[in-house]
Amino acid sequence: MAKKYLLLFLPLVLFLSLTVFLLKGLFSEPRYQVSSQVDKYLPAFSLPDVMDENTLYSVEDFKGEVTLLNVWGTWCVTCAVELPYLTSLKEQGVRVVGLYIEQDLDPDFGAKGLPQIRREISAMLGRLGNPYAFNIFDETRDYTMDLGVTGAPETFLVDRDGKVLLHHVGDLNERVWEAKFETVYKRALQVDANG
Amino acid sequence: MINELGQVALALALLASMLLAIYPLWGSVRAEPKLLAMAKPLAFAMFLFTLFAYWALTYAFITDDFTVKYVANHSNSLLPIYYKYTAVWGGHEGSLLLWSLMLSGWTCAVAIFSRGVPSIMVARVLGVLGIVSTGFYLFMILSSNPFESLLPYFPIDGRDLNPLLQDFGMIIHPPMLYMGYVGFSVAFAFAIAALLAGKLDSTWARWARPWALSAWAFLTLGIALGSWWAYYELGWGGWWFWDPVENASFMPWLAGTALIHSLAVTEKRKVFKSWTVLLAISAFTLSWLGTFLVRSGIIVSVHAFASDPERGLFILALLVIVIGASLTLYAVRSAKLKSDARYQLVSREMMLIGNNVFLTAATIVVLLGTLLPLIHKELGMGSISVGEPFFNQMFTYLIVPFVVLLALGPMSRWKRQPLADLSLQMIWAVGLGALMTALLLTGFKAYPMLAILGVFLSFVILITTVQEVLLRTGNQLNRKSLKMLSRSHWGMVLGHVGFAVCLMGITVTSNFSEEREVRLMPGESITLRGYEFRFDEVIHIDGPNYTADGGVVSIYDEGEFVSQLIAEKRFYPVQQTVMTEAGIDTSLLRDLFVALGEEFPDGAWGLRVYVKPFVVWIWLGAGIMAFGAFLSIMDKRYRLAKVKQTKKLGKNTTVAVNEVQGVQHG
Repeated sequence: MAKKYLLLFLPLVLFLSLTVFLLKGLFSEPRYQVSSQVDKYLPAFSLPDVMDENTLYSVEDFKGEVTLLNVWGTWCVTCAVELPYLTSLKEQGVRVVGLYIEQDLDPDFGAKGLPQIRREISAMLGRLGNPYAFNIFDETRDYTMDLGVTGAPETFLVDRDGKVLLHHVGDLNERVWEAKFETVYKRALQVDANG
Repeated sequence: MINELGQVALALALLASMLLAIYPLWGSVRAEPKLLAMAKPLAFAMFLFTLFAYWALTYAFITDDFTVKYVANHSNSLLPIYYKYTAVWGGHEGSLLLWSLMLSGWTCAVAIFSRGVPSIMVARVLGVLGIVSTGFYLFMILSSNPFESLLPYFPIDGRDLNPLLQDFGMIIHPPMLYMGYVGFSVAFAFAIAALLAGKLDSTWARWARPWALSAWAFLTLGIALGSWWAYYELGWGGWWFWDPVENASFMPWLAGTALIHSLAVTEKRKVFKSWTVLLAISAFTLSWLGTFLVRSGIIVSVHAFASDPERGLFILALLVIVIGASLTLYAVRSAKLKSDARYQLVSREMMLIGNNVFLTAATIVVLLGTLLPLIHKELGMGSISVGEPFFNQMFTYLIVPFVVLLALGPMSRWKRQPLADLSLQMIWAVGLGALMTALLLTGFKAYPMLAILGVFLSFVILITTVQEVLLRTGNQLNRKSLKMLSRSHWGMVLGHVGFAVCLMGITVTSNFSEEREVRLMPGESITLRGYEFRFDEVIHIDGPNYTADGGVVSIYDEGEFVSQLIAEKRFYPVQQTVMTEAGIDTSLLRDLFVALGEEFPDGAWGLRVYVKPFVVWIWLGAGIMAFGAFLSIMDKRYRLAKVKQTKKLGKNTTVAVNEVQGVQHG
């Protein structure tokens, strides 16, 4: 009889020992992680201006100023909605830098050439307002990947040392600015660049 | 507003499920008819509230209500309207809602279609389903609420549905799988109810059989659709990858296959009672384990579902409570079981249990292969990966004895089968099978060992299945004698034919497929297995929420036009994702498959071209198996309302047994 019970409890014992492993596995690394750039410094880069391939930018261009780094493209509907608000932020003195991504340039997908994209950018910024001090062109989209961007628009708040303070996915509007950005932005402004 | 009402409905469904988990079971302990009678109304209420919640979420999708977080994350104003309906289950939270809608729907179906079952048994079954549902609703409301609001900070537009899911195959694949998983919870509920009652006779097996069969049929279709989708959507011509998530659906299928066979034995011969119960619990456990593996992100897979350790922990806790309690109950109750029916070593019973052993072994192989990397790592032995060669080799070993039993089993008698009586059939099966294998392989002009084996085994199954029908009809293949066979008998025949067709497809396509990766300028062509693929041009295509390059390829067979295919490469801007959409020309004997690759600076394109013989047989076979299962459910024996009428005459069980045995000897 005891032998029979032993056999019948076997499934339960096997099942429970399996759950121990599952439980351990649940909390072990490495697991999928949303790569987050928050509290880290911007990775190094050297990328051209979207309007002029001879002008190159690097992390140095972020040093000394608190900046909003905005990922966008002319193909992105929500970005168009966001532009007027970003422009109004710029008029209040906020420095906004664009990180432009465009898949249509990729010969695999699009028939568009660089001149046409530049025309589209000028037209769009002329119509909806231009918040950008300059636009970095992430031609291969590698840098966007490094930053953990999953789409557009997304916005990073970068401090004077080039450290990312906030990462917002989706459009930046008045509500988001007041709830999420404003206090952090003002505090960042007060911190001395070398402090 | 509707969103909030949906939330309320979900809470009410939780309440109904909790009451359903308590009152009827309490009533069955106290033998209180009033409490037992509450089971059905509560099941209906649970279903209606869930249906309302589901409708509310659908409404949020079609009205582009991006204040709902789930909608904002899985839809977009540009998404075509039909995808807005299906995007409801495009993510974790919504698919759980669909799942609970199905679970409550099946619960409702049990309440409606169980008029022939005693009310105390129905109350127990519904009570167990109530417990399972409570777990689901709690999980949804506490950790994965589809109605979570983004107010007041909501986005202007949504982030679009994952482009992988914007496809017909992917629309129906998940619901089919969920139907299967959920169906096994009904079989599980019947098993637990029988354990609770302490009455593990053959009646519970008869009640549970149609539910287990339909669950199995849906799961078969679901897996087949997923594999078909992978074949034409991922663009590398494969149809099964032994991916952990595929394995997660394959394990309950294997256990379910064992279950439907074991239920048949338990129903007809009253043996293997405790084994059948254990299989019912296993099929259910494995479907939950699959959910856990997929939703917790514990195992790295291409099916990246939103992963979250907290969710994983919740499912694991549910798993431990429900399955732990079931297995304890099983251990305590089934100790008292004993079978009184006798049978000899060579008999139908033994062949069925033998097949069960091989199916269980296959389940364990898949389980080990899937979990070994995890266990290995947790034991601190470093990361390993278990891949295709392991599974393929193990399945090659298992298939041979499995097919021998599958060929002999249906022709054998219960209790005792002298093997000599079947020698004529065996000689024919082997001889004819070998001849047909030789004929088929001459067509391909190649004779790899595995191809010979697989094709031969498929033919043996087909031949013995025909022999079995001949045996049962006394060699009279006329309409009258064929009609004598019950629908569940035809169900079995089709199930086995489907398996043979599927095995044939797998064998031929794995051994004789040809592929070429080429670089072509528009206007150039290549020849593969006699077919000339001419790369005409690349056209630009504008879809509703994507743009695409379409490679136009014309195919000629000895100068004669066969087909023109368009292999697309789509770009979805909102999610920044690229998808391939292969161009495929399907026929029974071969698929012609073209996928578009990269463009080279000089204007040439990379193309992947495949000729895959018999590949469609894989899904055709799955379809036949599922059809067979549905046919079985429609057998007269399972029309439970009618069983009740025969019961009044006091001979329902004898009728069922006689029918089967009469056919055996007829």
